[in-house]
Amino acid sequence: MTELIVVEGVDKRYATSSGPVDALRRVSLSVGAGEFCTLIGPSGCGKSTLLGMLGGLVRPDAGRVVVDGRPVDGPDPRRAATVFQDPGLFPWRTTLENIEFGLELQGVARERRRAVAADLLGPLGLREFAGKYPRELSGGMRQRVAIGRALAIDTPIVLMDEPFGALDEQTRLLMGEWLLDIWRRTRQTVVFVTHSLHEAVALSTRVIVMTARPGRIKSVLELPMPYPRAIESTELVALRAKLWSEIREESLRAMGEA
Amino acid sequence: MSVTLLRVAIVVVALGAWELVGRLANPLLYVPPSAALPALGRLLSLQSYPDLGEHLLLTLREIAAAYAMAIAAGLGCGAALGLNRLVGRAYGPILTALYAVPAVVWYPSLMLFFGLDAASKIAFGFLLGFFPITLAVLAGIRQVNPHLVTVARAFGASDLTVFRVVMLPAMLFTLVGGLRTGLALSVIGVIVGEVLGSKAGMGSLINHAYGLFRTADYVALVVVTLALIVGSDAVASVLERRAQRWTE
Repeated sequence: MTELIVVEGVDKRYATSSGPVDALRRVSLSVGAGEFCTLIGPSGCGKSTLLGMLGGLVRPDAGRVVVDGRPVDGPDPRRAATVFQDPGLFPWRTTLENIEFGLELQGVARERRRAVAADLLGPLGLREFAGKYPRELSGGMRQRVAIGRALAIDTPIVLMDEPFGALDEQTRLLMGEWLLDIWRRTRQTVVFVTHSLHEAVALSTRVIVMTARPGRIKSVLELPMPYPRAIESTELVALRAKLWSEIREESLRAMGEA
Repeated sequence: MSVTLLRVAIVVVALGAWELVGRLANPLLYVPPSAALPALGRLLSLQSYPDLGEHLLLTLREIAAAYAMAIAAGLGCGAALGLNRLVGRAYGPILTALYAVPAVVWYPSLMLFFGLDAASKIAFGFLLGFFPITLAVLAGIRQVNPHLVTVARAFGASDLTVFRVVMLPAMLFTLVGGLRTGLALSVIGVIVGEVLGSKAGMGSLINHAYGLFRTADYVALVVVTLALIVGSDAVASVLERRAQRWTE
């Protein structure tokens, strides 16, 4: 497998009112093309910061991120698209116009970008909602619009920062299945941040467990099982338990500090 | 419907009271509607002031110039203060404090500076219109959801693009509200300027009629000026409502 994303010893320190906080310390990892790689860890372990670095939104204090052989020095919509926990849709744009956003910034002609967005409506399950505004959509639909906006620019990498974190559990499960379906068709490389053990085990080809602050990589789990995965199979239940025992320690440390 | 009814009612009551008071009082000082109406007819048929059109046009041009300058400067200053945290923190409070000063105290110095002609009226209209527009831009920028800015940046938007595709639409409603207030104040500035001292324009006609105790003509001129102001505000309010529907 070719390494699409290589993170080389990145550090990140934030200045806060109560002194500097080490968010990441000497983190190195690599993600191969076509992987569904999940970052999981206790709150505040810097997983979102790490994802921000991959997308060029956060600058590392030391080390560097290399994507496809070139160092990242800012957001590059030709390489990576980002989906945030807060969908961040533009309230004055319809579903279709929100999905077109990235193409519009790239100067794609109106008819062309409209066609790309319209083609996505089906897989997104939003065919009847093309002309609706974000306030008229449910939470799950809004997040699908945000995912559509990321898919529309057809990047080799999609970065997802707890995209289903604000949804209720049932919606979350369905969204996970739906995302898997999309990913198996597009075969983009996904880096996915989550709190959910369930999501990590059901979706990922690889799970990276991070430590409590300052975030470092604690362990890496390979998940070669085929999709769709029977989530209550003994194999996956055992995996989830193993994952939890890894994270539990770190979460306790994080809680002790807080 | 009932709103319209109530509005008509208050106008009828006001006119009735005015008629009553006007008939009882000294006709030199108070003019009832029954006398003002013919005066309005004489004014509009250019009998009392044959050069009404020129004066009206001058006032409109002064307003247009003052308002255009207020928009340009207001947008520029508002953006500079809103987008640069340091500049905003340094000068924002000064601006707000200046806005609280009754602007008419500046007018004498504007007349000394710019003379009795149109320039001093334009300057005063500009001064009045500038503040609400600047403050609206400032408030508008503050209310832009920073997450939307992050999203746009993640999709590769430059500073200028962020301003165009995120900030401007997000603050449109506030901005249009400020532009509407700015227009009203620019109009007030120009007309107050003309009334306080001028050789031409609607304000000077009002001053002339008032000074000669041509009270009926004075009232007619006020009515025409009023129509001008109400008309411009009506246009602005339609635009504001359209902007509101768009941003919601």
